[in-house]
Amino acid sequence: MIHDFRYVRPERLDEVLDLLSDRGEKGCVFSGGTDLFVDIRAGMTTPDYVVDLKGIESLHHLSFDKKEGLSIGACVTVNELIQHEAVKKHYSILAIAGRELASHQIRNRATVVGNVVTASPCGDMASPLLCLDAEAVILSNKGSRNILLSDFVTGVKSTTLRPDELVEKIIVPSRMIDATGGYKKLKRIRGHDLGVVSVALLKRKDTLRFAISSAAPTPVLLPDFPPSASVEEVQAAAQQAISPIDDVRCSREYRAFMVNVFIERLMKGAE
Amino acid sequence: MVRITVRVNGKEYTREVVESRTLLHFLREDLSLTGTKEGCGAGECGACTVILDGQAVNSCLILAAETDGSTIETIEGEAKNGKLSRMQEAFHNHHAVQCGFCTPGMIMTIKDLLRRKPKPSRDEIIDGIEGNFCRCTGYEQIIEAVLDVTGQLGKKEGLRHVR
Ligand code: FES
Ligand code: FES
Repeated sequence: MIHDFRYVRPERLDEVLDLLSDRGEKGCVFSGGTDLFVDIRAGMTTPDYVVDLKGIESLHHLSFDKKEGLSIGACVTVNELIQHEAVKKHYSILAIAGRELASHQIRNRATVVGNVVTASPCGDMASPLLCLDAEAVILSNKGSRNILLSDFVTGVKSTTLRPDELVEKIIVPSRMIDATGGYKKLKRIRGHDLGVVSVALLKRKDTLRFAISSAAPTPVLLPDFPPSASVEEVQAAAQQAISPIDDVRCSREYRAFMVNVFIERLMKGAE
Repeated sequence: MVRITVRVNGKEYTREVVESRTLLHFLREDLSLTGTKEGCGAGECGACTVILDGQAVNSCLILAAETDGSTIETIEGEAKNGKLSRMQEAFHNHHAVQCGFCTPGMIMTIKDLLRRKPKPSRDEIIDGIEGNFCRCTGYEQIIEAVLDVTGQLGKKEGLRHVR
């Protein structure tokens, strides 16, 4: 690598929390490394040391329980999530969206929690998780707190996570197991590219819920709609809520246009 | 520096390695296994794909230090005693190699795909290699090579018959 750093692999959670609370040197925690090592190589971050979380058994935990819901530990990879039977059965929107994240090789390493914590506006996991009312469980030496993901992500690559804190897991409530849904993503090249814009739809008996990524600094969750809502109604609300930009990947107008296209395709069940 | 022991293509290596060194650079520079290529160095092109503990991964985004105790398969493990593996043979027969830069990563990705899905459909092959760029072949020859090696190519299909 262009920048040199030390590597530590603790085996206990309290060791990680101790490292994080010591502000002497700059440390970065990671599991998959698919965002961190790209940033280090590009000179965008220069840690003194990196902390590999994979040595901590409990963070690999992925489980489903009819009462507690789905629990996704910090080291659970995207492929582990989308191949999990309970996810395919009860939270299909996560399996559909996860399948769109980068390539098989990346999904073997990249974690669900990492994708949310990186808080890139074009991450694939945040919008379906927002629709599902998912919460992050955050630990530090001072205790733990739970926060709804819709309150957790505050801007482009920014969250309410303090430097001494670690996201231990994400919990998806069990009341969402009846939901179905879809996810549409525009990208320039299959498997290689970041999302240009994407829309997630979660359908429940009494509500339709949409979340949009890459069209504002954070993923945008629209207010709930009744199942009888018209395509135009949802499109109008979406255009109000987003604030897309022009960038190297596409223009503002094209992003706004594709949001409407995806809303229509999702509502009509089209490919 | 950290001391790591890895098993690469069945052979065990113990080395002192710089902590910030990627698995890709460790293989190429410390072990002189230069079959694995570096394209982008950023997880986009798949040229650096190796199989790490049974999973296809981009070795440019993994630290060598993370792989202590692991089993790694690379392109150097394919040919045995000067004889190409079946997949290499199929790539050769179907002109699936032009400049060859993507080939080592492509073959490792397909090897992993066939372990999970021994008879992938054309669409499953296309999905399976979505993380591997090829700037030469247009992918068609690669897809035909995989269809052939899995016994799914008709007699007159692909390039086998012109040889
Ligand atoms: S060199 Fe690793 S993905 Fe391109
Ligand atoms: S053969 Fe040249 S990149 Fe694939």
